[in-house]
Amino acid sequence: MAAPVAFAHDFWIEPSTFRPAVGAMISTSLRVGQEWIGDPVARDTSVIEKFFVRDNSGDRAIAGFEGRDPAGLLRIEKAGGAIVGYRSKPQRLELPPEKFEQYLRDEGLERIAAIRAQRGESKKPSHEIYSRCAKSLLVAGDGATKFDKPLGFRYEIVPLKMTADAIEVRVLYESKPLAGVLVTAMHRDDASLRLKVRSDANGRVTFKLPKRGVWMIKSVQMISAPPGSNAEWESLWASLTFEL
Amino acid sequence: MNAKCKMQNAKLACLFAFCILHFAFAVIASAHEIGTTRVDATFKRDHTYAVTVFASPDAIKKRLHGDAIEKHVFIEFNGNRVVPHAELTPTGIRLTGEIPLHADAFTWRYDLTYSSYVLMLENESHGATRQWLEGDGMSTPFVLARDVVPPTRLQVVGQYLALGFTHIVPRGLDHILFVLGLFLLTTRIKPLLAQVTSFTLAHSITLGLTMYGVVSLPSKIVEPAIALSIAYVAIENIVTSELKPWRVAIVFAFGLLHGMGFAGVLRELGLPRREFVTALVSFNAGVEGGQLFVIGVAAILFARKWRHRVVVPASLVIAATGLFWTVQRLIG
Repeated sequence: MAAPVAFAHDFWIEPSTFRPAVGAMISTSLRVGQEWIGDPVARDTSVIEKFFVRDNSGDRAIAGFEGRDPAGLLRIEKAGGAIVGYRSKPQRLELPPEKFEQYLRDEGLERIAAIRAQRGESKKPSHEIYSRCAKSLLVAGDGATKFDKPLGFRYEIVPLKMTADAIEVRVLYESKPLAGVLVTAMHRDDASLRLKVRSDANGRVTFKLPKRGVWMIKSVQMISAPPGSNAEWESLWASLTFEL
Repeated sequence: MNAKCKMQNAKLACLFAFCILHFAFAVIASAHEIGTTRVDATFKRDHTYAVTVFASPDAIKKRLHGDAIEKHVFIEFNGNRVVPHAELTPTGIRLTGEIPLHADAFTWRYDLTYSSYVLMLENESHGATRQWLEGDGMSTPFVLARDVVPPTRLQVVGQYLALGFTHIVPRGLDHILFVLGLFLLTTRIKPLLAQVTSFTLAHSITLGLTMYGVVSLPSKIVEPAIALSIAYVAIENIVTSELKPWRVAIVFAFGLLHGMGFAGVLRELGLPRREFVTALVSFNAGVEGGQLFVIGVAAILFARKWRHRVVVPASLVIAATGLFWTVQRLIG
């Protein structure tokens, strides 16, 4: 079987462990790819807008060596939940029409395809700017985990509640719940587990997760690109990685 | 403030706002994130290419989904796809193959990475250039240097004829002296023909056999022996002007040695894999041409009438040189 071809790619944070010991040094790698198969992304400060960790004691920037993978290194200082956040600056992507249309279908962005069709642009190449809003949830030691506060990214998946076999998240766009957007959950080690749900009126999604292990929840928001950007569309890629 | 001034201010404000917006969305030009993948493509003067992909073999394996690597790499010369020999290595993928005849340009694409990566392209000993590629994007054509593209058969013939010829004239003073030694024995055509034929036959045999790896002698032995052969023919010229029966046999034996010497040179020059025999035969023919040229020039310079006068002094010089080289090559 040939590998499935996607034309726009997921972006996620892959820590060396999701359950670090207090005091441990861990790496937080950045990955671009699809289906959990990622290429390492080296630390590139020209693209990073924010790369930090939020835990009980506040926010700390994540250090790392420029041009090297893993992009981030972090010491876990306190027990409890910690969220690693990565926000990129916008980058430009141009795709031929058939690839862009396929990407819109893959990411549940049919409403953009409909607008393009209405404007007679379906056969035209796309000019897009995109940026990343990646998060990773770490649990250190046995401390109480509290992680339902948003980091304040423009597009964000916020974990609300996690049980042994389910997770509830809320999708926020510019700090407001976003309804009707496609949200996907993917198990890292079991390619058959690909769950797709649209968010409810409150931007909420609940996934029944049939298997323990490492998961990614992702969603793409697309809007008209701002004037002066020389692009028609702007996409925001949110991801959340965690271990159940 | 008059109306004109107001308008100007409004224009300036607009321009300022535009600049701010433009700056705010001064997006980075690369399309996908820059990964740690790197691809090196080298085009060598032995007319082969090697493409090395530096990436995690685990990720590559996962993306292959059991497919052969060849299915996911698109190597093209002049727009024609070629299938390389592919292997997975601890640092990624290695692809190798022969550069096709008449190739001018190379293009590359593969679909096993999703990040932007750098493709380094290098014509051997001509320096490298690089291109940034987008995931599964196609590179722009890379122009191949002339010396990495395999020559046509006709080019091989011309090139190796010339190499063979110049190996004698002007580069091979030792061979020139040997041939002169053969020439100086007698003024008659027949003995000269017998010697030259015997020498040619012998050096063709060992040149071929050595190049095919059938026989081999270290140059430490071959080179002094060649020098000694020069001294021998010259000394014999002083002693006799008859073609003794053993002379042809000895010349044949020396020919065997000279053939190994030619092979040493040819090996240094290198033979095109695809046109091995063509090059070998052409080189031998070139050597032959060089020898005939030496004899021709000698025949003009030393007219029959007074040749007997130069035989002894010339042979003495040749013999001395031969002996000197023998010692020099033995020591060196």
